[in-house]
Amino acid sequence: MKKTILKFVTATALLTSGLLVSASASEISKLDVKKECNVEANGVEKVLATATKYNEMAIKNKVEFMRLGMKTSQYIEAVDAALKSGAKNIDIVDDKKKKTSEATIEYAAWRACTFAISALTQEEESKKTWKLASPSDGYKY
Amino acid sequence: MLSKFVKSTALIALTVCSLHAADFNAQAEKDRVAAIKYFEAKFADPEKNKDKFFPYSTNDELKNDYAKNLKHNDFAIGAYSFSKDAKSQYEAIKEMPPYDAGIEKGEELYNKKFANGNSLATCFPDTKVAGNYPYFDEKKKELVSITSAVNDCLRANGEKEWNTQKGDMANFQAFIASSSTEAGKKVDIKIASAEAKKAYENGKEYYYSQKGYLKLSCAECHIQGAGVRVRNEKLSPLTGQTTHFPAYRLKWDELGTLERRISGCIVDQGQVPPKDESTQMKELLYFLSYMSNGMAVDGPDVRK
Repeated sequence: MKKTILKFVTATALLTSGLLVSASASEISKLDVKKECNVEANGVEKVLATATKYNEMAIKNKVEFMRLGMKTSQYIEAVDAALKSGAKNIDIVDDKKKKTSEATIEYAAWRACTFAISALTQEEESKKTWKLASPSDGYKY
Repeated sequence: MLSKFVKSTALIALTVCSLHAADFNAQAEKDRVAAIKYFEAKFADPEKNKDKFFPYSTNDELKNDYAKNLKHNDFAIGAYSFSKDAKSQYEAIKEMPPYDAGIEKGEELYNKKFANGNSLATCFPDTKVAGNYPYFDEKKKELVSITSAVNDCLRANGEKEWNTQKGDMANFQAFIASSSTEAGKKVDIKIASAEAKKAYENGKEYYYSQKGYLKLSCAECHIQGAGVRVRNEKLSPLTGQTTHFPAYRLKWDELGTLERRISGCIVDQGQVPPKDESTQMKELLYFLSYMSNGMAVDGPDVRK
């Protein structure tokens, strides 16, 4: 009896996690980057939370964005630290963590959010389009 | 009668196995041949094919700067195959190759004893194997790149693993590549199981998928964009891209591994690159290397 219950619980858990994954893929396709990452409408904290949520998925899927040596997760960490310290700006750093520029926390939160969501929507899109670039599959010339 | 039955069964089993083995690389072969056909068509006459392949180039540069009638093996030297100016510079540099010292250092590393008395020679008894990597280890069910093989050897012998992008790793690989080149070896990547086929397909999908904040795929530069001028450089074609590594890049001013070059490309796309010994990186190398199957190993070499 115990074994049957265990099997049932395991199967339910597996099915649920499967549904969550597919629901996430569907959710991602419908995400509106402009709306989700609008700092004026949502505030820095909420946009940062959105960035954190989707960038974790991007890292898990190995599609995290980076620009000039700075990963999305570094933007998120920098904005989070600035919010805690009350700083208005964050440092933009290169791949050796050397400061190259500055950005406002609003701008950095927006960038982290758009990068995080775009990485996932692009991944979904490319699953349907990648063969169009392959000469042996769909590429016509 | 029984003997005949056993022989027939064995023959059928062998035939089925052979057919299946051939099946595993059928799509990869189709991909490889289609890529060669595409590049041969593209570089048959760039000036004549301007509208189809080079709409943003000038008539003058297509007429004067591009070589014509290129065939499969010409692409082993990448963009130097079609760029006349770059090729003349390349040939001048090759008169005194800047990677020769790296090959010598690599040979020393090959023979240098580990603390336990073994050496890299223990793990690599045959040095003429550059064209066989990556290969799919059917026992472990995983891909092995030359970089991961070297570090596996070091780890197994209690030695500290090497930087996967330059230094000792690049010098040692230069020695292996040089030995393979001198022996006239060709790139010979095999896909002999369903798991190996899946690894190849994953690498292929990675190559053709748009990535990073610039939304670029590898193919946009090295298939559709091959030969196109970006600022003052012309982009190299997929075919032949792995034959010459490790490469001495003038930008690096030293030898570097194929993983280093690929990571640089992926960073330029605006994406975090896979780790050099990760499955994802090895799958990409597997696809890339298969695309150069049959071409002569010609590493190490020099690139801009």
